[in-house]
Amino acid sequence: MQKLPEWLNPEPWLNRQYTTADIERAIGAEAPTERELAALLSPAATDFLEPMARRAQAITRRHFGQTIKLYTPLYLSNFCNGGCRYCGIAADRKAKRTVLDKEHLRHEMEAIKQMHLEELVLLTGERMPEADLPYLRDCVAIAAEYIHNVNIEVFPMAQNEYRQLADAGCTGVTLYQETYDPVVYKKMHRWGDKRDYFQRLDAPERALRGGMRAVGIGVLLGLADPRFDLLCTYRHAKHLLKNYWQAGLSISFPRIQPQLGGFEPDHPVDEKMLAQFIFALRICLPEIPLVLSTREPQRVRDGMAGLGISKMSVASKTTVGGYSDDSEESTEQFSISDERNIPELCEMLRTKGLEPVFKNWDATYREPAEYVRREA
Amino acid sequence: MKNGILKIGDQELGSRLFLGTGKFSSTQAMLDAVKASGAELVTVALRRFNREQAEDDLYGPLSELENVRLMPNTSGAMNAKEAIRAALLGRELSKSPIVKLEIHPNPHHLLPDPIETYEAAIELVKQDFLVLPYIPADPVLAKRLEDVGCAAVMPLGAAIGSGKGLSTAEMIKIIIRDSNVPVVVDAGLRSPSEAACAMEMGCDAVLVNSAIAAAENPSAMGAAFKTGVEAGRAARLAGLMPTSEVAVATSPLTSFLKQVGSDRSD
Repeated sequence: MQKLPEWLNPEPWLNRQYTTADIERAIGAEAPTERELAALLSPAATDFLEPMARRAQAITRRHFGQTIKLYTPLYLSNFCNGGCRYCGIAADRKAKRTVLDKEHLRHEMEAIKQMHLEELVLLTGERMPEADLPYLRDCVAIAAEYIHNVNIEVFPMAQNEYRQLADAGCTGVTLYQETYDPVVYKKMHRWGDKRDYFQRLDAPERALRGGMRAVGIGVLLGLADPRFDLLCTYRHAKHLLKNYWQAGLSISFPRIQPQLGGFEPDHPVDEKMLAQFIFALRICLPEIPLVLSTREPQRVRDGMAGLGISKMSVASKTTVGGYSDDSEESTEQFSISDERNIPELCEMLRTKGLEPVFKNWDATYREPAEYVRREA
Repeated sequence: MKNGILKIGDQELGSRLFLGTGKFSSTQAMLDAVKASGAELVTVALRRFNREQAEDDLYGPLSELENVRLMPNTSGAMNAKEAIRAALLGRELSKSPIVKLEIHPNPHHLLPDPIETYEAAIELVKQDFLVLPYIPADPVLAKRLEDVGCAAVMPLGAAIGSGKGLSTAEMIKIIIRDSNVPVVVDAGLRSPSEAACAMEMGCDAVLVNSAIAAAENPSAMGAAFKTGVEAGRAARLAGLMPTSEVAVATSPLTSFLKQVGSDRSD
């Protein structure tokens, strides 16, 4: 097994003991680093949820105002040859497989457009003949006819492949490492291309070099020690910010949800831990959008909006073709918890004094980004 | 208030407080704050123009306000080319000749790119825009932008949304001293007293967004900024007393010096 690169390795900050004073100092730190993050993620900080929440809210308000940005996912295909132990559409699940054809995609886009959503994430499983690069390129181009901001959450690709998608109108790539722990990673990904940890780790950089304007990273909470994984997430974020200084970056906090296959996580993250982790990341990365999806139950989403979280998915369907009426039935990748429609979610946000923002981008900025970077 | 009319290009403005329109908890809260602030020039991001007229559209409601001129901004542009395109689109949609030229390639700290801003300014001036560039507080860049025809310059007091006030005060003083076009402090202000300070220093106007949008009561804060800006401007016009590092000495150090034509016996 190749060693973790120095820029990623969280070893120096792991398994330290923290005093009350350490936590208080970390909450109030003016320029937090790994040291403060490790303190805020630690079990010792669980007694400080309230002051952490207050600080996280103040920072979120300062940087993102009284707004929550909205986006929606669209599942293009659930064909997959992947061997992820935790996934409902892994190759060995008896899942009903479907792929959206272009006509259906247009119906879906019309339905999404009707909802006034202007930010979309297109999703697939691993690379398959049914959903390969040319297919994806066509889907991006079609989606970009309808709305301003089209992103993908698919299999890792080569730089020139990302470039083709950027040329077709894709502005961002979301790709979770799932876990940064290489041992757990190998255990979780039983076969296929996804077994290659480093191929995945480097994909956000390839996406940016390919012309994407933004990348989203994250881990699937529950797979490995969350403190290890979140310190790595932070270090990965810092690495990207330093080397691709014009790139947009966001971080999501997906927790393992029930799925076909019945996987039970070894490191379950309860709601209080989730909140603590989000507050910790918000305090240590004040300017980075933090995302919470409909995987989370209504109560958690309502409570976390504006409390560190600045962006949320809405009206999510995790089946292929879930938005328009003519969609076929397919197996979902995981179960969503918050099933409210857009008016219901917006009503909740407004009650909390937060404006739901549907459009925060314009197609006029859609050209592939060029990062001027001196190669070492 | 006898604060004088502010001229930016051919535009005459009675208020020296400009407002940004993002980050508010609702469109209504934003409109209320604009009204309370007395602002006559507001900036709105092209990316928040929602031509589908969804409920988060900022342009539609703003364009209906009386006595308020719109200044579309190019926030989101990474480079000169994108900013130019966004400015043209903004003008087409809003019919406003004014553009806040804003190029911040880093979407997190939102600090302006001086090189791309300079290049875009040249082109936009050629295309008959009134160009108000948001810039680092760099006196040389400010002059370069004046030289290529910008209608005003808008140096930052501190990073957008930081609330760190007039961190760049010393550089802004040099910009004011040397500028032939209006100087507008844009970004970083947190309190009306800081806006007053900027006006006392000799700024021609200030542009405020986060400080009002993220206040507990945005419209009351809009009104407070109005007062702050007016007080600062009035103080500037009234002429502040000079400051002194030392008290006036009771035993003068120079009493040994003789006046011309007096005793020359030594």
